[in-house]
Amino acid sequence: MEHKERIRLNIGPVHPAMHGVLKLILDVEEDTIVKAQTELGFLHRSSEKIAESRFFSNYYPIMDKLDYVSALNMEILYASTVEKAANIEIPARAIYMRTIMAEIQRIMSHLIFIGSFGEDIGNITGFIWALRERELLMNVVEKISGGRLAPMYMCNGGMFYDFPEGIDNEILNVLSTIENKVSHEYSAMFTKNQIFISRTKGIGVLTKDMIKKYGITGPIARASGIQRDLRKVSPYLAYDKVEFDVPVADAGDTYSRFIVRTKEILESIKIIRQCLKDIPPGPYKTVVPWVMRIPKKDTFVKQESPRGEMGIFLVTDGSDKPYRLKLRSPTFFALRALEELLVNIRVADAFAIVASMDPVMGEVDR
Amino acid sequence: MIFDYIYNTVSAFVFSPLSYIISFVITAILAVTLTGIIPVFIGWVDRKYSARIQSRYGPVYVGPFGLLQNFADITKLLGKRFISTNVDKLSFNFTPVAVAAASFAMLLIVPLGGPGLEFISIPYSLLFIYTLLAISPLFLLVAGWGENNKYALIGGFRGAAQIISYELALVVVLSSVALLSGSYSIISIVNGQSSIWYAAYLPITLIVFVIAGLAIIEREPFDVPEASQELQAGWKVEYSGIRYGFFLIGDYVRVTVIAMLVTYLFLGGWLGPFLPGIIWFIIKTAVVLMIILTPRWIFGRPRIDQLIKFGWNWLLPLSILNLILVELFVIL
Repeated sequence: MEHKERIRLNIGPVHPAMHGVLKLILDVEEDTIVKAQTELGFLHRSSEKIAESRFFSNYYPIMDKLDYVSALNMEILYASTVEKAANIEIPARAIYMRTIMAEIQRIMSHLIFIGSFGEDIGNITGFIWALRERELLMNVVEKISGGRLAPMYMCNGGMFYDFPEGIDNEILNVLSTIENKVSHEYSAMFTKNQIFISRTKGIGVLTKDMIKKYGITGPIARASGIQRDLRKVSPYLAYDKVEFDVPVADAGDTYSRFIVRTKEILESIKIIRQCLKDIPPGPYKTVVPWVMRIPKKDTFVKQESPRGEMGIFLVTDGSDKPYRLKLRSPTFFALRALEELLVNIRVADAFAIVASMDPVMGEVDR
Repeated sequence: MIFDYIYNTVSAFVFSPLSYIISFVITAILAVTLTGIIPVFIGWVDRKYSARIQSRYGPVYVGPFGLLQNFADITKLLGKRFISTNVDKLSFNFTPVAVAAASFAMLLIVPLGGPGLEFISIPYSLLFIYTLLAISPLFLLVAGWGENNKYALIGGFRGAAQIISYELALVVVLSSVALLSGSYSIISIVNGQSSIWYAAYLPITLIVFVIAGLAIIEREPFDVPEASQELQAGWKVEYSGIRYGFFLIGDYVRVTVIAMLVTYLFLGGWLGPFLPGIIWFIIKTAVVLMIILTPRWIFGRPRIDQLIKFGWNWLLPLSILNLILVELFVIL
């Protein structure tokens, strides 16, 4: 029998190609991975415990830093949970505003994915192009909320401020730019690029069974042919009032995960356009006291974050702080599949597969 | 040969043995300056060009249009502290010098824009340049071994595997050009193209040469040995300061040499109507250089096995087929 020497490669937690502080321990024979372990927890900041010592209104900054690539989605999720627990009705305008902000954030998050994926397979130009488009939306978010990465825009009962005047036209302009770039320029750089296809097609195939076994949701599940999107399945915000498709691919490989996210950008653009057309005038928030007491009950709310189904389980005991707050983060489940996915592949493919999971360690480690 | 011009000029003023020494020193200074300035300028072109592709400005502050940015960077690299742990001192320090020397030697052999404008003239200049290009796997292996680092070692092995699988195609391509012109000397190859460019005879050879050349100098998308994502910087991982700077400069020298070779071997070198030869040469080389610099910014990186398969399965058979066709053409 041929003797092959095993090398153990520790990749991460500080490695230029790793997303955040994910650590991979790869046992490598020649150029093939025979065993892979993931090590999590390097960014654990006890976000859940912090919630127990904060008023309901004071937890938004922590939610911002949870999934820092899609901070607004996290804020909206937490706001929805608190409002459901406290039986607060938010005005129709606020619902539309939140839908718009959630979709803007989704586009930004997917652009980051496209960029970092391009960078991980050695295409730096793709990274810079994606960030260039994201910057346009960043400016919009900055004009609306005052913040960029962690906007702190939501509050219990609605938003802190109304949209500034004339932001509609600016958003529409930005959206048409992004639509143009994503559907034309990026296809030349990525989806029609022969090297890109050879690096991604048939790599890291997640079957439907694996998806169900690991409880993976979101774009990763949809790339494996599972048609499940919470925005369609159990509509929240204004998603039942707008028309959009849920992009699904069947192959389940790295390529289809990329395609699904690219198509989702275009769908999000559609949603924002409809919302901007339909957005009603009126108040943008229900005024609620800063410190409020929520009676003893359990509340579970899940929403479709750019990475999958993000959920919050909130236990209240009648005081002004949560008794327990549990976060269900989608990429945590996706990363568990890596131990099975990263076996019998080349070392170089491991990075493409990890990048296609689009992990944000802030959300995984909580 | 540049030395002859200088020697003739100097010997008019100074008596014989001393004039030989003086002209030798002048030639050496000229060679160092020229071969130093060319890669640094090409590096500036690359940075500006990539910046335009990526919607950036590139260097703007140091000098007009940021022209002196690379000099500033090299000065900075010179001032860096030498950091290393557990490296093999000899191979670690030897490799950057050897890589830079092998690269600069190529610039001394190719004519810089006209017959007689080379520092060293030898009849087999093409073969010698090929040798200098093909010696690099040795350096990669030595560097990867000497750095005492897993990533560097893997990078070194990858580099050696990649270059070995592409250099065969390169030498076959060079041979087919030499066969057509009947010489391994760049000057007679260019003179053989006075009626028609070899690019018209050998379009496939041109493409194979560009691809194999890019692979040999590890230019992206063939930068698998130093893949910054999986291997950080591959065989360069432990290098810093001016040792790293040597690699960078050597990189640009080799890009320049490949662009010059394409011009000489396929595009008629300095031959062209109306304008003086050196202008033609600069125009052609600039166009080729731009084409060579582009793939780095628009392609991702293939996997190492895909890369090697491509080299053995496509480039080598194609170049051998081409060689046979050229031979038939020459015989008939």
